[in-house]
Amino acid sequence: MTAVALPRPGRRFRPARTVRLEIKHSPVVWTLPALALIFYYDTYRTALGQTPTWANYASLINGHMLIYICVVGSGLAAWAGAREGRRKTGDLLATTARAPWARQVTVLAATAFWMVLAYLGETTAIYVQAARVSTWGSPPLWPVAVGVVCTVAACAIGFTAGALFPGRFIAPIVAVAVFAGEFVGFKAVDNTYDGAYGGGDSTNALLVPGQGLPHLLEAGVFYRIPPDVYVAQLMFMGGLLLATAGLLALSPAARVPGVRGVSLAAAGGRALVTLAAVAVAGGVAAAATAYAVAGTAQLNQQTGNWAIPALHDAATDRPVPYTPVCASAAFRVCIHPAFAEFLDPVSAALQPAAAEVAGLPGAPARAELAVNWALPAAAGTTSVYAYSGTGTGGVGGSWFGGPPAEIIDAYWLQGVQQGFLFWFVDGAAVNASGNPDPAQQAVADALLAKIGAPAPDLGPFTKAGTPPASPGPAAQASAAEIAAAARRFGSLSTPAQRAWLTAHVAALRAGRVTLAEVP
Amino acid sequence: MNIELTDVTRTFGRNRAVDGVTLEVGPGVFGLLGPNGAGKTSLLRMLATVLPPSSGTVRLLGRDPAGAAAKTEIRRRLGYLPQNLGYYPSFTVAEFVEYFALLKEMPSGQVPKAVAAAIERVDLGSKARSRLRTLSGGMLRRVGIAQAIVNDPELLLFDEPTAGLDPEQRVGFRALMRDLGQQATVVVSTHLVEDVGAACSEVALMADGRVVFRGAPEELTAQGAGHEVGDSPLERGYSAVLAASRKRVAA
Repeated sequence: MTAVALPRPGRRFRPARTVRLEIKHSPVVWTLPALALIFYYDTYRTALGQTPTWANYASLINGHMLIYICVVGSGLAAWAGAREGRRKTGDLLATTARAPWARQVTVLAATAFWMVLAYLGETTAIYVQAARVSTWGSPPLWPVAVGVVCTVAACAIGFTAGALFPGRFIAPIVAVAVFAGEFVGFKAVDNTYDGAYGGGDSTNALLVPGQGLPHLLEAGVFYRIPPDVYVAQLMFMGGLLLATAGLLALSPAARVPGVRGVSLAAAGGRALVTLAAVAVAGGVAAAATAYAVAGTAQLNQQTGNWAIPALHDAATDRPVPYTPVCASAAFRVCIHPAFAEFLDPVSAALQPAAAEVAGLPGAPARAELAVNWALPAAAGTTSVYAYSGTGTGGVGGSWFGGPPAEIIDAYWLQGVQQGFLFWFVDGAAVNASGNPDPAQQAVADALLAKIGAPAPDLGPFTKAGTPPASPGPAAQASAAEIAAAARRFGSLSTPAQRAWLTAHVAALRAGRVTLAEVP
Repeated sequence: MNIELTDVTRTFGRNRAVDGVTLEVGPGVFGLLGPNGAGKTSLLRMLATVLPPSSGTVRLLGRDPAGAAAKTEIRRRLGYLPQNLGYYPSFTVAEFVEYFALLKEMPSGQVPKAVAAAIERVDLGSKARSRLRTLSGGMLRRVGIAQAIVNDPELLLFDEPTAGLDPEQRVGFRALMRDLGQQATVVVSTHLVEDVGAACSEVALMADGRVVFRGAPEELTAQGAGHEVGDSPLERGYSAVLAASRKRVAA
């Protein structure tokens, strides 16, 4: 019998229908409701308590979502990858014309399709919420790109593990291993941040997806976040993906049914094996390069962003231009438009406090939001009271650490007032202990009492809002003595207070007024 | 000839599963008989291009499967039903058969008709939309046959195809084999000698990795004259040839 030739299929690889079949039967479909529940309870609800800036919302899509997406995705991919071995279809499939790698790629593509769809769907939900509450900026896309590549890479790693070690337990083993890897990675990232702020530690852990955003409320607001870390993460994850794809292409050679050892022919011939080996080598090289460059990352103290010298574009260090929004009130209060929703509460809180010191030497003419790590200039030397979202004046705390509707209450407003008046009386000068001295504290407490705000019950506090390590001047006087002086000063008439302050505020700020000298 | 084997050997470690088999097979239904461990499945897997031979030469459909391009060409023209059919429970009958049609790289325009035809030929038309997990063992066997014939192959390899089929289905399957054998080379590996007698034009009997008999079923029947083991004449011929082979090996 002469061989009757079948019509040859097109040379072009057309896997669409096979992929559609695999998508329909992917095990991921069954887990989508569970993924939605995890998303709602873990990520979405966390997002509702976020400071309403794009960067803060973007930190969730990889800092929260990607954790379980990668765990679930890698486990399910391992299950899918083990299918041929588990279902014992290896012999049957081995007799088909489609190359093993092409067949496996369609299964992997179906798994990755659902996981990426879940990731993008959840990202969309987060970004829609961000769009509703944010007042400035645009959605960051670099984290999304990292998330997509990381999701695909996790699926590829899981799938390859399943293809190489088919069995019922490979899925949970892979999922647990990925989770453990993430745990170790996030722990390393914490150490990296501690090192960055405290001095010296490896920055390689920045490659862990979900990181790359500075741990600051105002990230991406005053300075745009450079793509350095994201590029390194993409290079690392892309390298892992490439290497895994190469291993996947080689995997049929290692598991010919009934044959021990390696069969190059089973993997599709020498050319494909060579190509796969090159992919493995290229992927490992890319990941190693990313690891090396991540180790050179430095925290830019000016911008608060991570910079990787080999990848850094200095143009990204320039401040982002913006037009402040200001409240129309006697005391002018301005804010970055990203925090516009905080303007009215901040202005309302500052008006009575500013009125108490208006016209006095060194009293500010206006207040303006500053980059959070920039300490306000000393009172008396500037006409602008620069407050920040993470601490106002001498008072610490994350003032912008959540949505305004949730965090602004009487305590919050009083805190803003305390920050302003303490800054005014202690001049923001840092004395030996970093605390206001007893006289400054008594005067500030009296002024606060006049506008109905309580004296801070924190006792002596530092500029950063933490108790002093050693007793400072405030501790040299008892709380009762300070309270008595505050009552004494508060009992003066307003003109008498203003007259004394006009004459003595410079000395008060300089720490040259004792508690006994407070009238 | 669609199958040309010359001194083919396949070893697994120290075990020589196929030992110097030389065989030429043309169109028609070819039966491969033998006891457990005779080497039938290993030989069939080599014919299916799953296993390469340890030594010797294999030519299928006029091509050497050692070459990647030739192997792909052979596989496009090949149908294979393994002894243990693995399947994906969530697939429907039609999807499973279509899946293999696609993997066999059939022209996409021909796939729907070919799938429907294959399913009808194994009498599963009413179950085309049923999921595989809902089917009985016999039905699954027929699904396996459908995927094997979906690409209208020139070389068909069946390993125990009638296992699990009821008598009526077996009769129907034998008719299908005869029909397929009109144009293609059909190799049937089986324990059931009645399948061979009813459907095969030629038969080979394997023992200990070697072909110990080759001829028409009638010739195998003739070997059983005077032999008492077996319920049917063909079974007696089968037993007689095996007994003689064992005596030779023992000697």
